[in-house]
Amino acid sequence: MKLACIIAMVIGSLTGFAVQAQSTAPSPWQQPAATLAEQVAALLGPGQAQLTIRNLSTIPTEQIPALRRLLSQELKVHGVLTSGAESANIVRVTLSENARERLLVAEVVEGDESRVTMVRLDPGKAPQPQSAGGLTLRRQAIFTTSDQVLAALETPNGLVLIEPEEIVFLARTPDGWHEQKRVGIGQTRPITRDPRAMIYLSADAGGFEAFTAGEVCTGSFQHASPPADWSVHCRESDDPWTIVQPPVMQTGTEAQAATQMNIGVTPIKAFYNAARNYFTGVINGSSGVDLPPFYVATQLVRSAATMPLLAGGIDGKIQTLENGKLRTVTGTRDWGSDFAVLHSGCGTGMQVVASGSGAATSDSLRAYELPAQEAIPASAALAMGGTVTASWTEPEGKSVMAVVRMQAPVGQAEQYEVDRVTASCN
Amino acid sequence: MLRQVVISCLIALAVLPAAARTRPHYGGTLRIEVEGDPWKVPDGIAWSLVHDGLTRMDSNGTAIPALAVRWETQNDNHRWQFWLRPNVQFHSGWPLKPSTVVLSLSGSCRADAGCPWTTVHAVGTSIVFTSDSPMPNLPALLSGNGYLIGQAESEEGKALPGSVGTGPFHFVGLQNGAETFEANEGSWQGRPFVDKIEIFSHKSIHDQWLDLSVGRADIVEVPAEQLRVAQQQHLTLLTSPPVTLLALAVADSSLLSNPNIRGAIALAVDRSALSNVIFQKQGEVTASLLPSALTGYSFLFPIERDLNKAHEMRGGLATPALTLAADNSATMQLAAQRLALNLHEAGFNVQVANAATAQHKDLALIQLTLASGQPQSSLESMLRSVGVSTPVIENTPAGLYKTEHEFLETHTLIPLLYLPRAYAVSGRVRDLRLSASGSPLLADVSLQDAQ
Repeated sequence: MKLACIIAMVIGSLTGFAVQAQSTAPSPWQQPAATLAEQVAALLGPGQAQLTIRNLSTIPTEQIPALRRLLSQELKVHGVLTSGAESANIVRVTLSENARERLLVAEVVEGDESRVTMVRLDPGKAPQPQSAGGLTLRRQAIFTTSDQVLAALETPNGLVLIEPEEIVFLARTPDGWHEQKRVGIGQTRPITRDPRAMIYLSADAGGFEAFTAGEVCTGSFQHASPPADWSVHCRESDDPWTIVQPPVMQTGTEAQAATQMNIGVTPIKAFYNAARNYFTGVINGSSGVDLPPFYVATQLVRSAATMPLLAGGIDGKIQTLENGKLRTVTGTRDWGSDFAVLHSGCGTGMQVVASGSGAATSDSLRAYELPAQEAIPASAALAMGGTVTASWTEPEGKSVMAVVRMQAPVGQAEQYEVDRVTASCN
Repeated sequence: MLRQVVISCLIALAVLPAAARTRPHYGGTLRIEVEGDPWKVPDGIAWSLVHDGLTRMDSNGTAIPALAVRWETQNDNHRWQFWLRPNVQFHSGWPLKPSTVVLSLSGSCRADAGCPWTTVHAVGTSIVFTSDSPMPNLPALLSGNGYLIGQAESEEGKALPGSVGTGPFHFVGLQNGAETFEANEGSWQGRPFVDKIEIFSHKSIHDQWLDLSVGRADIVEVPAEQLRVAQQQHLTLLTSPPVTLLALAVADSSLLSNPNIRGAIALAVDRSALSNVIFQKQGEVTASLLPSALTGYSFLFPIERDLNKAHEMRGGLATPALTLAADNSATMQLAAQRLALNLHEAGFNVQVANAATAQHKDLALIQLTLASGQPQSSLESMLRSVGVSTPVIENTPAGLYKTEHEFLETHTLIPLLYLPRAYAVSGRVRDLRLSASGSPLLADVSLQDAQ
């Protein structure tokens, strides 16, 4: 008896696996199954065949019966009856996957002959990590891109992203963020391997000031005008970066209340080593005493009279600078080199949200109280799903923004996510 | 499902965990020990320290700008034009010029299946490649180690050693028994974090692990077959996904020009025994060229041994003694002996020889490295490395399967195992990652104790 072996492989989208076959909602298998059946029928022609299904993928096995039913129905439409247990023809369907996508593969066995067809399926989406604890941190993704993001500033109708070589303006639309404009920063020196940037709203909230290694950019925008009309000017500069933002004049009750929290905060600037990834330690606007070289610094507001500068040195030490004295903060052994102040209103009202983790690829953020020289955990760690590469306090003080380089399996693009982290009191 | 879990675990292992996340520190000397020659062409660890390519691969397996900032294809992929990055200098101080790039690339065409292009020449600040065959994968292929750009001649026209490039480190020379490299302050990608790298070559694995344990080395090699031992010794490991294909190359000459004989050899090899006994279950048994993680279809190539069918295909032909060549390493020689035993059971008389000294090779146990995380260019690169210069035009899974299937049907190359590459590192090493081909990306490494 002559046998022919036809192999047909169809790869299609398998998102939304949780949808049950019994549900009235359209099955995610419908389209892939129809495509597969059509291609199998084209190879096999009308007749009988045995249908077998095996699962080499991470697709839940309970999804298989639904797929089998759909395939049988679709094959029947094309004249292939799958009830033929004694048929020499076999349709062997395999659910498989690679690092990029899931595959639906059908081998149609009809003797020794082999043929192949394929269709792709959408990758599944990873569940959002949850957080728990006393004061609870929550994370909201603002924007995700495959381009490296160093810093970001959200305005009422736009988003400004600082990338290593460009400033990007995005407009808020009902469908999400839409890129409007890119402006080259125009660096003349090579960009470092750990590039950094900072961006602040200007004092009148009508523009921004952005710092990158060796360049400073100023931008202006009208809130009523689209980001495409915003302007920006960059120039070479070794001027110190603003590391503590002065109060921003905003309107509205909530904004005024937020601004009150920052009253007394004086602008502090620090010189950045443009050939490296840290600040030299030379600062102005403070008490005249410099810090050791540091990665990050912020100002704590304990009272109108007590506002130490908190700095994370490149030696890993976390220290405060107050009244000309440097004092070490204990309880910071797990801290990474990014932190920002959060005016949550919980507990003492202000916490420091610090990065830090057991592994560089799965950073977390955690809130700490600093009533004195000891950091006391105030929340559970909030898993960020990747490496936190920057964090800063938003102008109103009630949230912290973070840039996270998301973990990507081999074969998938690295993603950068701009997240807003807020706190709720328990 | 289990395979996917394993793949996920391996991917997770491909980035070194750090005790606490801080920004990378600048400074310090990184000490590496290797068993082979760091300058071995094309995969020696030194090449990518001192050289850059026109392109490089991102983590998505996409070619992105390196020494070329942009490129265009014309005439249905028969002509490509690459524009060079301005203001780049070789370590000698000589500027990167199109003519220098053309000279370097022309020198790359001497090995294996030659180059994908027919001609390469400079046009203004760009490089133009032309070919009689389409070159759909050229940007990806140019990221490979075989096409790194070096300065072949000095300003005066004198030949330079192959160690002058534009890469993140410049070669200083042999100092205190180590190949020594210093940070290139003017690297267009940014200065690397460590000041200096010392590579101690021709070190046995035993000596490497000993030096790691006493703090004399920071990165040492872990062969796949010793991964389990390394885990038992609690070494800090960085392991790639399966990237090295162990395969049996079969000459298409004399008796072996008979496709049935080659087919019989393919059916006689016992991949599982090779994996279990020689490689301590650290490999992925395969009969396909690309690993399952890249394609998802490798299960369509049967891996089972079938001695009866092998005998049937050999057809009782009396075969003269065949020579199976393998590298002189203990593991490769053991693997070759095992394969010789497999083939003996199918009626073949096979003698194992050292590849470096064998006069004649009917069979060769070879290792091929996956070029990138992109299946189409990886397949073309792999086929080129075994002398097949036909471009891989298809980019759909079905098309790739068809290309693989047609080549493997010739049985001139019999895939056996996919093996990971692994390294053990000291506690001072930070942010070490592996490329898609399993090579350590040393320019991004920093040292915990550097200040």
